[in-house]
Amino acid sequence: MEILYVLIPVSVLLVLAILAVLGWSVHSGQFEDIEQEGLRILQDEQKDKPKVEAHQK
Amino acid sequence: MSNVVTEISGSAAAVLTPAQQAGLDDPDLLQQCVVEIPMGSSLRRIGLGLSGMYCAACAITIEDALRKVPGVTEVQVQATSQRARILVNPAAVKLSELVAAVQDAGYRAWPDAAARAGHERLRERRVLMWRLSVAAFCMMQVMMITWPQYVAGQDEIPADLWNLMNWACWVLSLPVMLFSCGPFLQGAWRAARRGRVSMDTPVSLGILGTFIVSTGVTFGNQDLFGHEAYFDSLTMFVTFLLAGRWLESRARERVTQSLESMCVRLPEAVERAVNAEEDLSTVASESTPLSSLRHGDRVRVAVGQAFPADGQILAGETEVDESLLTGESRAVPRQVGQMVVAGSLNMSAPVWMAIERLGPDTRYQQIVSLVHQAMTEKPGWMRFADRMAAPFLWGVILLAAGGALAWQWIDPSKSVWVAVSVLVVTCPCALSLAAPSALLAAAGAMARKGLLVRRLDALEALAEIDQVYFDKTGTLTEGELSVVSLATPQGRIAAAQGLPAAQIEHWGLAAALASYSQHPLSRSLVKAAQDAGGWPATSWVDVREQAGKGVQATDAQGRVWRLGLLSWVLPAAAAEAGWWTQDSDARVWMAAIDDTGTLVPETVTGFVFDEVFRAEARPTVQRLRELGCQSALLSGDQASRVHAAARLLGQGEDMVVAQAQATPEDKLNVIARIQAEGHRVAVVGDGINDAPVLAKADVSVALDQGAALAQSQADLIILGGRLLGLPEAVVISRQAMRIVRQNLAWAAIYNASCIPLALAGLMPPWLAGLGMALSSLGVVLNALRLGGARA
Repeated sequence: MEILYVLIPVSVLLVLAILAVLGWSVHSGQFEDIEQEGLRILQDEQKDKPKVEAHQK
Repeated sequence: MSNVVTEISGSAAAVLTPAQQAGLDDPDLLQQCVVEIPMGSSLRRIGLGLSGMYCAACAITIEDALRKVPGVTEVQVQATSQRARILVNPAAVKLSELVAAVQDAGYRAWPDAAARAGHERLRERRVLMWRLSVAAFCMMQVMMITWPQYVAGQDEIPADLWNLMNWACWVLSLPVMLFSCGPFLQGAWRAARRGRVSMDTPVSLGILGTFIVSTGVTFGNQDLFGHEAYFDSLTMFVTFLLAGRWLESRARERVTQSLESMCVRLPEAVERAVNAEEDLSTVASESTPLSSLRHGDRVRVAVGQAFPADGQILAGETEVDESLLTGESRAVPRQVGQMVVAGSLNMSAPVWMAIERLGPDTRYQQIVSLVHQAMTEKPGWMRFADRMAAPFLWGVILLAAGGALAWQWIDPSKSVWVAVSVLVVTCPCALSLAAPSALLAAAGAMARKGLLVRRLDALEALAEIDQVYFDKTGTLTEGELSVVSLATPQGRIAAAQGLPAAQIEHWGLAAALASYSQHPLSRSLVKAAQDAGGWPATSWVDVREQAGKGVQATDAQGRVWRLGLLSWVLPAAAAEAGWWTQDSDARVWMAAIDDTGTLVPETVTGFVFDEVFRAEARPTVQRLRELGCQSALLSGDQASRVHAAARLLGQGEDMVVAQAQATPEDKLNVIARIQAEGHRVAVVGDGINDAPVLAKADVSVALDQGAALAQSQADLIILGGRLLGLPEAVVISRQAMRIVRQNLAWAAIYNASCIPLALAGLMPPWLAGLGMALSSLGVVLNALRLGGARA
């Protein structure tokens, strides 16, 4: 059971680390618009070709 | 709304004119759009409103387009809210370039000057959510580590491992104490510095007390602090409290949003005619910020835009949505010469308007300020509740201290958490939220129906009224006179019945003549003919209006038609004799005189005007009776007319005529007498002429007719003259007071039962936290039932 002396502090540190990462992701807007990011890959390379006619109706 | 948006996107290909560019590049406008100033940088984050987006991928297209504009560092487009946040260098970027970039991509953009308020709210909500997440996450970890301490038998866990567990819990509680508890501790500290106690004080004392004792147990003297650490209870009740507060803030936001959404925003930039004299069909227009508009400016309002100011239509014909003023979403036709009001939406065609009232003088601003006044006002007995809160809180603190002391004798190990439970479980919030949440929700629900509450106090009185006194003229009747019958050689013919062909023709001719005049009777004549289906086109020449007498014009056959006073319309000789001398009620006459100067007798027609009752007057009286309110007439008009009105509106049961031919003093006396008999009285009037009577009544209700909204001193204002709003208001206010009573009863029962339980040691702190959170949440949710039904 001596391993507990290591595991408990490690788990506490892990929890704090997870909190920090979660905090960063929430505050940097990672969850702002979840739908939009999945569609980005479907777009043409717009950086090179300016003004691609958007798929308007 | 949706069809308006599509129309805008359909015309999105429009290129900005140089004049529009100049308007957009106004440095003030850019300043208004700033939502955030990043620390230590010259960059600014600005907001743009967008339209024409129909899927999430559109957001990416717009982002790419904006990113190419020089001076733009960072772009975020949100498809859900149709807003863009752009980090720009204000010196290098022009708003017009940003707008043009979005338009090139096929969408519409406009500067979003109201972005800052929305941004602040979003940030606040996000911080609160994050506090809650931290607390919940740490709570779970603390629970996991504490669990073995609960289940282990005597001496099963070695003392040093036990201590290590306490240590771990202490570290995990730190983020909760330092970050999540912030709002409670700050609130208590602010109050304490001013020597007061606030709602946060007992909670903060509970939190701090638990933490200090548990820390003492972990690090220091176990003889002094006992052997139990309470980190699990601490994190748990903080989590519950924050969860309650978060839900509550969401609920409250919905109420304020529903009030704010009523106030459609005015456009930031408008198209103004450059030359004040030039004809409207050829004149060039420039885009100018709203703030630089002046009286008399001529402005073009596009479809889907809100009118920027009150004014008259100069050219064009359209339909407008005036739901802001009436609470009814319905397209109202507007033609040349008619008034439009700021904040109403142009629905069907672009029009030119002349600006007559701007800024704070507009009805839009008056309504907005009325809504804000009601939202920030505190009724008298709410202030009383606030005053009572302080003794209540001191009582709680003393009870907690007493409980802790008593438990030192009974069972010292329980004394800390008994005190904490007492501090946490009491819910003064339920007491102080009980009334305002319900009243605000009621005000919101009423505002959506076009009923503006000026004083929240009035809602309480409105719920209890049993007598309603109506003024007749202008309240039960339309403000303007209408044609009720035609005087003909065959005698009177009521306008509502089917008219003979000759009279229909005469009425058409009269309307065609009257359309050249702005006299109130002429307008009423025109309106009645329009409602009946218009009139055939007539080619008049030589149209002349003679002030105070009437209008005259010559038709194709050379006959001169006159419409106006009898003595002016008929030649002097004819005016003395003929059937027309019999009918003294007809105020407006029409006749033709042929080119030889003799009267054409069959063309003589008289128009009898009278006031007509509003279509809603009768159902209103009926509905009020169903609600147990007796309606009565209190009028300065002649007795016979008032009694006739009472018979007409009463439907079988005659409406009570309180007094006819009443002077303002008589009216006051009547109200005072009825009040002395123990009735609660509402008086409905036009809000200005009846001021003293309205002031005497328990609730005063004004029908809003026009521009005089700001002078009106009534408690409740019904927009758009919709009388049926009154019974609706009574129903809502009764619901609101029922909910207030439920809330107060709930808060009293909850506090009275939970404090003894906590004192008896039957309620652990985590359960206390849960109870407190649920109780204040229950109060707010109960109040929200009122705002629930969306109009």
